[in-house]
Amino acid sequence: MSPADRPSRQSLRRTRLTRLAPRCIVLAAALALGAPTGSTAQAAGPLDERGALGSMTCAACHGQAGNSRSSAMPILAGLDAAYFKKQIGDYAAGKRLSPEMEPYAKQVLNLGVDDIAAYFASRRREPTPIQSPADAVARGRSAAAQCVICHGPQGHGDAGKLIPNLAAQAPGYLREQMLLFKQDRRSPGDPALAALKALMKTIPDETFGDLAAYYSSLR
Amino acid sequence: MSVVTRRAFLRSSGVGLGALAGAGLAGCAPAIKGDFAPKKGPRVVVIGGGWGGATAAKYVRLLDPKIEVVLIEPNREFISCPFSNLVLAGLRSIDSLTMGYDGLRKHGVRIVHETATAIEPDRKRVRLGEGSLQYDRLVVSPGVDFQWEQVDGLAQNQDKVLHAWKAGPQTVQLARQLASMPDGGVFVLSVPPAAYRCPPGPYERTSMVAWYLKTHKPRSKLIVLDANQNIISKTALFRAAWRAYPNIDYRPASRVVGVDPGAREVRTEFDRIRYDVVNVIPPQRAGAIAVQADLVGGDKRWCEVNHVTYESVKQPGIHVIGDATIGLPVPKSGNVANAMGKIAAASAVSLINGRQPPTLAPGNTCYSWVSDREAIAVVNAYRIENGKVVQIEQKLTPAQSPLVAQRAIGWTQSIWADILA
Repeated sequence: MSPADRPSRQSLRRTRLTRLAPRCIVLAAALALGAPTGSTAQAAGPLDERGALGSMTCAACHGQAGNSRSSAMPILAGLDAAYFKKQIGDYAAGKRLSPEMEPYAKQVLNLGVDDIAAYFASRRREPTPIQSPADAVARGRSAAAQCVICHGPQGHGDAGKLIPNLAAQAPGYLREQMLLFKQDRRSPGDPALAALKALMKTIPDETFGDLAAYYSSLR
Repeated sequence: MSVVTRRAFLRSSGVGLGALAGAGLAGCAPAIKGDFAPKKGPRVVVIGGGWGGATAAKYVRLLDPKIEVVLIEPNREFISCPFSNLVLAGLRSIDSLTMGYDGLRKHGVRIVHETATAIEPDRKRVRLGEGSLQYDRLVVSPGVDFQWEQVDGLAQNQDKVLHAWKAGPQTVQLARQLASMPDGGVFVLSVPPAAYRCPPGPYERTSMVAWYLKTHKPRSKLIVLDANQNIISKTALFRAAWRAYPNIDYRPASRVVGVDPGAREVRTEFDRIRYDVVNVIPPQRAGAIAVQADLVGGDKRWCEVNHVTYESVKQPGIHVIGDATIGLPVPKSGNVANAMGKIAAASAVSLINGRQPPTLAPGNTCYSWVSDREAIAVVNAYRIENGKVVQIEQKLTPAQSPLVAQRAIGWTQSIWADILA
């Protein structure tokens, strides 16, 4: 079966939920709230699962278990916990400017950022369902040569250096972040981002859409 | 909202209802009688399948699949109020805001397309005409109903004087009235006194109608009669946006007290204004079932609740969520209703399982369109302090922008899935 023929995890899940007997729905529903990559937490159920209740608020924008299905909202599932915590801290401190995320970041700190970071880090990332045009993906692949140094050949980043995994991420979000880096509106003055921003300044705005298309298509 | 188009009926009356146990659950079957779906285990009944109720129904199933969930909702389709002002401006179709309930059925939620007529807390029973349903815990998400009597001439002219404040057929009708208004005409929009559903909604509607008139009927005018002393939400951002719309005549402290469709005239306490098209957003209170079941407070309008569990202060076994609630420092928004739905679900599931309910606060994300391509937003975060919801912070977007509009679109896609998929 080629990847293109393979049904999405979501459609599989739907099929399971409709077909299976009630006793199996326990597992199916646990999957729906977001199956952890390890399997031990399933037995306890979402009420006992670390960070599950606290992260419910996030689902309104970021999707069930952090698997956003929209283009503009980033997927949080599978995000490295240290990277997640750094972003929440920066949003709350007003360093990473976002009128939406600053209040919510403070709410996450209030709820317990360690638990919520651990929850999202342990979810399996479901690739964005947003399909980009093949020509944009191809142009993005060529333009991505400079990104490989930090984000790696598959865009998986380097968790140890707080470099995020871009693969399968929502393309609208990726494009907006590149624009914000270029305009120095994301974490202005952060020395760790200086080189990245210098690079972004050399890239034309229209290429950001291609790069976003390419990285969202990676797995 | 009670009008069901043939297409909509066909779309929702087939497969999904077949999955329901027992005869009489389908809306087209003969009237239901007695306990038509005897309880087999712990059960949560949810009244109202809007932003709050549909979310609560889904999340009870996600949090504990051993609990049966029955959702009582007369409408066969969900139509989003957020983004419905874009329909008035001809920028979105009502179909793009219309979704089915099959996603909830796949989570194992039983949906009964009927109207709850009474609640019997002592017997833990909801009545639907001659039928009834037992529950262990009840979640009531009744939305709002209109206080027609507050505006003279409104009750008897509901077909001519539209509210379009519950997205549906009236939204489409008002869009048609606007489209067929002659250029040079006057559109009058009346804003009710707070509290009402969606505080920035009337001002987003003002922006959308003004954009439409500026673009398509440039000699026309929009008069906004606001019962409040000023724009009550995102004030500075709306003021800034309206600089692009000299066709707006905004009149604060102008409560509409009467309407006469024969003379095409609305009346404030001081003035009479002629209109070509009128849109009266009537004063509001909690949905009928909340009043009928005596969940409303001394004001006979809204329901006071426990800030942690959303249980009614008057009926502790009954959780009330969404626009019908009062006393929390939160707006009556779809996002808040969605958040309350999750928290009430977690609370109901915990209590059924003999556990302490979690201490969770809602959040609010609220986008408003101000032109065909730009939007603004306000976001509020909360925490629980001494058993009460208190605000941590409120943030507004610094200015209107297309990027905010893109995020608004992303928000709808995400939250509609969170409610229904």
